[in-house]
Amino acid sequence: MSERKVISPKTMKKAFWLWFFWNGSSQQAETIVGNCLGHAMTPVITELYADNKEERIAGYKRSLTLFNTEQQVGSICPGIFCGMEEAKANGECTEEVISAVKVALIGPTSAIGDSLWVATVIPILLTLCMAITNAAGNMGWIGPLLYLVGYPIGTCILAWNLWKLGYKAGVEGIHRFMASGKLDQLTKAMTVLGLIVVGGLTASNVALTVPVLITPPGGEAAAVNLDALINQIFPNLLPLLLTLGVWQLYAKKKWAPLAIMGLILVLALILTGLGYLTGVYV
Amino acid sequence: MTVLQAVLVSLFVYLGAIGSVVGNTIGWYNLGRPLVASFIVGLIMGNVPVALTLGLLLQLANLGSVTPGGAVGWDLSYATYIGVAGALAFHTGDIAATTALMWAFSTIGGAIGVAMWNLVYVLDLACNRVAQRGAENDNPRLMAFANAGLGNIIGFVCRFFPALVILVTTAVAGSQSGVNVAEMIPSWLVTTLTTFGGMMAALGMGILLSFLMKKGVHFCIFLAGFMLVAYLGLNSMALAAFGIVVAIIYYYILSSKSESEVTGL
Repeated sequence: MSERKVISPKTMKKAFWLWFFWNGSSQQAETIVGNCLGHAMTPVITELYADNKEERIAGYKRSLTLFNTEQQVGSICPGIFCGMEEAKANGECTEEVISAVKVALIGPTSAIGDSLWVATVIPILLTLCMAITNAAGNMGWIGPLLYLVGYPIGTCILAWNLWKLGYKAGVEGIHRFMASGKLDQLTKAMTVLGLIVVGGLTASNVALTVPVLITPPGGEAAAVNLDALINQIFPNLLPLLLTLGVWQLYAKKKWAPLAIMGLILVLALILTGLGYLTGVYV
Repeated sequence: MTVLQAVLVSLFVYLGAIGSVVGNTIGWYNLGRPLVASFIVGLIMGNVPVALTLGLLLQLANLGSVTPGGAVGWDLSYATYIGVAGALAFHTGDIAATTALMWAFSTIGGAIGVAMWNLVYVLDLACNRVAQRGAENDNPRLMAFANAGLGNIIGFVCRFFPALVILVTTAVAGSQSGVNVAEMIPSWLVTTLTTFGGMMAALGMGILLSFLMKKGVHFCIFLAGFMLVAYLGLNSMALAAFGIVVAIIYYYILSSKSESEVTGL
């Protein structure tokens, strides 16, 4: 029996710093902070799957998928993924479980992070430093300087501890299921969770409207908005169909993402043109 | 205001933006907060007390600024740097007049910031293709370049130059109206890019689904999640909680079934 694969402390720290400095770079409409997470996970994947190129490539691809969180207190998430990847490298976890946990963490960690940290802790710290500035008179620069230096250091320490906490939870959480020998059931149950969340994210994140206004001759008031009509039949039907279409092209027809991106750009151009032609956009 | 000062302020506009090279903890949530931003502008312009007076007003007005899911309604960092720097350049000693100018400049700055954020949010899609190529070719360095390198080059170009243009054509030139780069982008392009961005989210979902949706019954579960939000309007927290409840029940059923198989019950 081969030795258990463990992420070395050095690699873990490297992953943390990659996340800390580039957790918001290349944010975009497709995977939000997916690239940032993928980037941060690279040293972990490289180390865990050092002897298996196929597994490594699969790991890189898995870590690049859609992800979002409040990136500071949300540092617990990449920690959890490190733990689960370690479990996976030791045959204790599956790709489905990792993907499902990943999407399931998006909503809760974003909500908790934004309301608890960004909307509560940061304003309190800022208010404190503002009060110092007001009280300090000529020495008003003390307030901003205090925040400038204190905030990143405090946040960094908190984020690193949350990361380690997440890692521990990831490894031990999976280990508990392994001990009961129920990885198959866990995979099935987590797939259900992942699908429900991705379904919901599709409804809230994918935007597609048909900007077509059908105006009968002389009857401006009777104009029919095609998009409103479609949404009355089934809300967000078009985003749903688009997502399923893209899935079909990517997963079944093996289209390259670049080709799909090109197709979507052409569609976007056509739709915008339609909008201008029928007078929805002016 | 000198050109050098304008360059320095524009550099901090970029550093304080979401996803700059110093990370969101040091950038957006620190250099981008008006309290800190006005202090830095004050240092660059050589007038910290007035800069702080202006910065405190902006900070108070935007204390609880949250950017949920990257939905930026108002770019606080851009607003503060442009607002405070623009106002300070015309400061003659009348703080009331300078404050009024600060609000005017910050409104323009904030609007440019939002326009640039929306632009970057679509342009950065290019990073995904590079990162994907890195993953497929077992090249983590290319993945790193896609995120930290290309992402920041795009971010820098879209934040630094519009800020520099507005500052140079106003504060440096001594004029109170200048060239707004954001207004030079034609509206049809903005509409197309917004449409494109909204549709590209489908690719993110499609790739995720390729990991999870493998059987016919999986489609029904996906659809159930979709309808929970599209019809019932659950928020993301409620959706995750509901998903977890269903997963636990399902896991429990599966486990008890396999146990009864083992024990023959």
